[in-house]
Amino acid sequence: MKINYHLLMIAFRQLLNRKRQTILTLMGISVGVMVLITAVSLMDGLLQSFIQKIVEIAPHVIVSGDKVRPTVPPQLVEPSPGTRVDFIKNVSRDEQDVIKNYPRVMDLISGDSLVQLVSPSVSTDVIAMFGTMSEPIQLFGIVPSLEDGIEKFSKNMLSGNYDELGKTPDGIMLGSTEAKDFTSRVGDRMQIVSPSGKIYSVRVVGIFQTGINDIDDNCYVNIRLGQSIGGFSPDEASHLYIRVNDLPKDGIVAKSIEKETNYTAVTWEEKAASVVALFKMISGIVYFLVVFVIMVAGFGVANVLITNVLEKARDIAILKSIGFRKREITWIYLMQGLMVALVGSAIGCLLGYVLIEIMSSIPMASSSAGAIRTDRLMMGKSPEYFILASLFAIIVSLVAAVGPSRNAAKVNPVEILRGER
Amino acid sequence: MNTDPVIKLEHVRKELSIRNGGEELVNTILPDISFSIGRGEFTAITGPSGSGKTTLLYLMGGLDKPNSGSVYLDGEEISAMSEEDLAEMRNAKLGFVYQFHFLLPEFTALENVMMPLLARGRAGVGDARKRATELLSDLGLSDKLHNKPNQLSGGQQQRVAIARALVNRPMVLLADEPTGNLDSKNAEVIYTLFSRLNEETGQTIVLVTHDDHFAGETRRILHILDGRLDSDRKLR
Repeated sequence: MKINYHLLMIAFRQLLNRKRQTILTLMGISVGVMVLITAVSLMDGLLQSFIQKIVEIAPHVIVSGDKVRPTVPPQLVEPSPGTRVDFIKNVSRDEQDVIKNYPRVMDLISGDSLVQLVSPSVSTDVIAMFGTMSEPIQLFGIVPSLEDGIEKFSKNMLSGNYDELGKTPDGIMLGSTEAKDFTSRVGDRMQIVSPSGKIYSVRVVGIFQTGINDIDDNCYVNIRLGQSIGGFSPDEASHLYIRVNDLPKDGIVAKSIEKETNYTAVTWEEKAASVVALFKMISGIVYFLVVFVIMVAGFGVANVLITNVLEKARDIAILKSIGFRKREITWIYLMQGLMVALVGSAIGCLLGYVLIEIMSSIPMASSSAGAIRTDRLMMGKSPEYFILASLFAIIVSLVAAVGPSRNAAKVNPVEILRGER
Repeated sequence: MNTDPVIKLEHVRKELSIRNGGEELVNTILPDISFSIGRGEFTAITGPSGSGKTTLLYLMGGLDKPNSGSVYLDGEEISAMSEEDLAEMRNAKLGFVYQFHFLLPEFTALENVMMPLLARGRAGVGDARKRATELLSDLGLSDKLHNKPNQLSGGQQQRVAIARALVNRPMVLLADEPTGNLDSKNAEVIYTLFSRLNEETGQTIVLVTHDDHFAGETRRILHILDGRLDSDRKLR
């Protein structure tokens, strides 16, 4: 059946006749769509900005000293018939797994055309002291010129100059969180107590803030100093950080590294999987709740249509008696549902857009409670939110309109015409 | 004139069941009635209220179905048609006028009259507008085309309803107490209109009324008593 103009006119004018109820229903749909759009934007914005920050600042692949295939200890006792051997525990050495002869491993990895950059690091848990304060920190020894390609410190310096780190053998660069805790400034001298108890004196050359709280907790020194503090040999590293040319291929790179070097390689997706999963779970809950707002709006649509059908029973009877068929009557009321949904969605999209703009421009006290630091809400902006929310509202409204429309089609003209006084 | 029947009822029986609590009361409105109406006839169906004359009209219009027996319109058995086909048939061959005007309150007089033509895409909007305007002008409403029903007097409303019934050039015009809600002056206008229609255009009209004066204007009176044909008188 072609959608005739006069059917639309009947639908439209009946709605117009019940202005107050129609407007209330429109408001219900609009608010539902607005809230859904805003919620999706908020959750998606958080996740996207988190991923973007990670991709920008964290290594794409981390190679660590763990062996993929553990080296089997040599047999202590040659098993022969009649011999019983009991192992109580395989005693392991109390030292970190390290990447031995890392320059060679780096050369090997760099050979892959997908790899853009490899940067070695050693990490040690130490105690840092400044004045009367002392605090455990994780200290990384890095090659500053290489590491900048991974973590982009030079762009994120709060004070000091990143290049100074490379030029200062006893220099240390502090993450903003640590710098705040110690209230130390560039040029101050601090003491580092190594795991073996030796005290090293270092000079603060810079303070950085990346926005990712995990990184802003760390402190960095040159790799030579890091190695001697941590008790590593000069050719040992605890991690190799890798940046790839083509991000989706980081998994391939990680696999080939594991195969060639027998060291464990972890991609950022694997590392961030738990956080991303948490984000997705929270968004799931939020969407679930918001969806109910639109469902309730759907009741509003059903309500306005049921009232219309009841009130217009006489008109429906007359339309039938002049030759309108069931399907045309059904159409009139489905159209009413659709009209309310379309106008409501349009208003809701507009309100949602305004709300997103307002929310993303409100300055907020930066908080280090979450995974990333931000001074305002990061709202996602994508036409998909609007399309999805509108589509959902339209479907809900149409479903709500089905019942009343069918009732309208069932109106028996004789009963109505006879019943008139 | 009866040689070419346009409406024919054969042994029509109609019962109405009324649910009263758990019991179902069956009320026989028309036990067994047969008659036919010829093309171009102007017939009045009279009888006391409750005699079944309105039911008879609804059966002829395909709005209601008999429990047994057959109703024919233009040679087709409408009592056996599906609801869809009945809607099509009503739109093509019938025009209804009721005691109340039953105009759509949201639409102007002109739009109300156009509606049956638009309902089935029988005419484009332009043609429908032209036809409706002509008809309303014929009925003396050329200055009320764009008034909503509530801006018209009772007599004007009823004339718009008659225009709506006539707009698709129906084979039969069925009217149920069309003057029942009008004062005598306005009722007189409607009588004259019906007579003129029948005389000038040969319009077949079946009219239910308990107004003897109006019935006297017609050419044939079918008097119904307790659902039975009590008398069939030809006038003039």
